[in-house]
Amino acid sequence: MALPVLICDDSILARKQVRKSLPDTFDAEFQTAGNGMEALAVLRSQEIGLVFLDLTMPELDGIGVLEAIKTEAIDCFVIVISADIQPEMQKRVMELGALAFVQKPVSEDKINGVLKQYGFI
Amino acid sequence: MNKLGFSEEQRDCLQEIINVAMGLASDKLARFLNTFVHLQVPSIALVGAMHIPEEFENRYQDAEAALVSQGFFGDEGVRGEAIVLYQMENAHKISALLGYEPGDVSEIEMLTDISSILTTTFLNGLASQIENSLSYSAPRILSSRHGNVADVLKNTSFHWEHALKVDISYQLIDHSFNCDMILLIPGEAVTNIKHILDRILEAY
Repeated sequence: MALPVLICDDSILARKQVRKSLPDTFDAEFQTAGNGMEALAVLRSQEIGLVFLDLTMPELDGIGVLEAIKTEAIDCFVIVISADIQPEMQKRVMELGALAFVQKPVSEDKINGVLKQYGFI
Repeated sequence: MNKLGFSEEQRDCLQEIINVAMGLASDKLARFLNTFVHLQVPSIALVGAMHIPEEFENRYQDAEAALVSQGFFGDEGVRGEAIVLYQMENAHKISALLGYEPGDVSEIEMLTDISSILTTTFLNGLASQIENSLSYSAPRILSSRHGNVADVLKNTSFHWEHALKVDISYQLIDHSFNCDMILLIPGEAVTNIKHILDRILEAY
């Protein structure tokens, strides 16, 4: 069965880059969100298995989304994809329960590595 | 931005490339200052270079300001000049963080270092995403005097047709620090940038 996946980034290009980096063998149904508020609206109303989450976004940033997921005990895996690569930020997102941190710009190698590591493909 | 004929897709593409490059620059700056930098989405705008002095006159005219400039050159005719503007009040906060005394002569050296870190890391990040590589001239202080920002900008931007303004705002853990980065580029560079953006967009 296809995995429900949410790609959340304020940039259209970045969302497309994620989509294109994913292998054909990854059986998923995609939805997108343009900021953290939109992402939470989807996460609160539907079952989502995996979220690709940007950090620096308007309205509500990725940290806000991770905090809400934790507080509201929303059941989903989160892979953070961000340009904010400061070690402290990486530590913070992992502490908030993210599965992995991927540095922008994404590539097939980076995404495949993470998906394989956690058994998504 | 749209004045110079960028489509919404091209603008989104350029913004994302700049965000990624700015992330790299912030990481370098955070390591240099040994602190955490709260990253914000930088606002970007492309304007005619002749409008640059008036754009910055208000923000910098009444304060002591410093301007540091660095030239860059790459493949396919990519070239320009990057200027970083600071209010000295902001610079003093940073030098305090690094343990300099107020008014220390080496504060200017510190600003040159920070500008160079920001500019070269940012531009290298930009260049690698568009598969270009850049070389740089040594950074130079254009001015650190009171009230002459508009004149200095007028003299420098005079040689160029366009300017890409990148409004950088850094929030350090317990200080705020703002500076502006201006990339002065020749007219043909805008056409080149559009081609490059289209090439990237076509790939997705």
